[in-house]
Amino acid sequence: MSSLALATILLGAALAASMISVELGISVALIELGLGVAIGNVFDVTTPEWLVFLAGFAGILLTFLAGAEVDVQQLKREWRSSTAIGVVSFAAPFLAAMALAYWGLGWTSDAAKIAGLALSTTSLAVVYAVLVETGLNRTVIGKRVMAATFVTDLGTVAALSILFITPNVWFIPFVGVSIALILGLPRLAPWFFARFGDRVIEPEIKLAFAGLFLLMWLGAKADSHAVLPAFVLGLALSSHYASHRTEQERLRVVAFAFLTPLFFLRGGMSVSVPALWANLGILVLLLVAKVVPKIVGVYPLARRYCAPHATFATLLMSTGLTFGTISSLYGLNAGIIDETQFSLLVAVVVLSAIIPTVIAQRFFQPDVAEEARRDAAGIGGPALEGEGG
Amino acid sequence: MPFTNLLVAVDGSEASNRALSKALELAALTGAAVTALAVEGPLPAYAATVGEVDEVKREKDAFFGGLARDVREQGERAGVPIDVDVRPGHAAELISRVAKERGADLIVLGHRGHFLRDHLLGSTADRVAEHAECPVLIVK
Repeated sequence: MSSLALATILLGAALAASMISVELGISVALIELGLGVAIGNVFDVTTPEWLVFLAGFAGILLTFLAGAEVDVQQLKREWRSSTAIGVVSFAAPFLAAMALAYWGLGWTSDAAKIAGLALSTTSLAVVYAVLVETGLNRTVIGKRVMAATFVTDLGTVAALSILFITPNVWFIPFVGVSIALILGLPRLAPWFFARFGDRVIEPEIKLAFAGLFLLMWLGAKADSHAVLPAFVLGLALSSHYASHRTEQERLRVVAFAFLTPLFFLRGGMSVSVPALWANLGILVLLLVAKVVPKIVGVYPLARRYCAPHATFATLLMSTGLTFGTISSLYGLNAGIIDETQFSLLVAVVVLSAIIPTVIAQRFFQPDVAEEARRDAAGIGGPALEGEGG
Repeated sequence: MPFTNLLVAVDGSEASNRALSKALELAALTGAAVTALAVEGPLPAYAATVGEVDEVKREKDAFFGGLARDVREQGERAGVPIDVDVRPGHAAELISRVAKERGADLIVLGHRGHFLRDHLLGSTADRVAEHAECPVLIVK
């Protein structure tokens, strides 16, 4: 199939996904993944280099946006509970899934690491949607779960950047430039945006893109991955974006209109339905390796920090989507995992976005008015961590 | 016995405007209190980015803020004070629940087809008529 024909099909699918998303109230990314699966399995398509490249950049941009969406003040206020829950939420499924993949399924050690990473994540966006929809984002429990989700994701991106490093001479400039951008851009941003911002030619978006491409290039030269610096760079700019919503909105428009659809469609295209069908047992095992360690690890901490809604908080921490897909796609692009392993990991990631969310909302959703009353009365340890030290 | 407490579901559509007009007519005749319930539909489920959720939430807030103002003004013009309640959730379930919470003795709503979802799941009006504990007036 020619590049133009494939691009036409993909952009048509992106359009259809947007329309279906609006009609059904389901995330556009999930539908794009699904349509990608359909395209990849119905048409005889070899993923072209340009799509791999654009999807790779879109993954980094998604990571940057995720960092930029973090509420730093909230994270500071909830640092103790969020660190405890977030670290366990990352480490427990990471170790369990890695062990299962390596010893149980006979995957290579690097493929097992990708499995551990893909299944260690918690979806900030899935959690955020549930909390905002119910109003729980304004309660202490909601804030703690959000902050813990960030810590888990930080664990995933840090491990993805660190675990596959083969140190070479490029590692030093990669680290140096990462630090320079993370420290420098937040200081440069106010002047740059005031001087060049708010124009249709979008110098501020180009600045962000140039920084991300620089990180990707140096990361590739250093045999590493730019997700960690991209995430931290987003985090460093989060306060700036919080006070300049229009800029953040424009960046999202560019991302959502063209780049992120290609990321999720490309991810879906590499999912093999026959491979999933032939490995349903392994799919279930991997899902168990993600969800059970999350529950076993997080629940005791959630009982301490999110009582009386520990089950609800634990289930939300068991969700995953974007970083799981990013990790899996990295493994596929780097030749660490094959198409069957990729298919299994992405399927588990998607299932983990849906199943724990449905159970949490259907059976364990807290009464938001009651939670607000409890917060006001100071029951259950309100958000005093940062204030009290 | 005349109705004393009406709950009308509003969403800014033609059908819901007709339902609101009918509820205001009824209230003017019977002196019933009127609550207008606007249901913010669910945010995108299983979202991949916070941005997607944020944008939809912002659009909804702006839309329902404007809708609440319009409904109140319409009530003022008809001489009927309206209590507007905007809540997130699933329409059919919430309309029935709020009617019960507020002791409504009549639910008024438009017969509207949200084309794809209604074909899959049945219309909101059908489901409210089935589950509500008080009479339901479906305005066509």
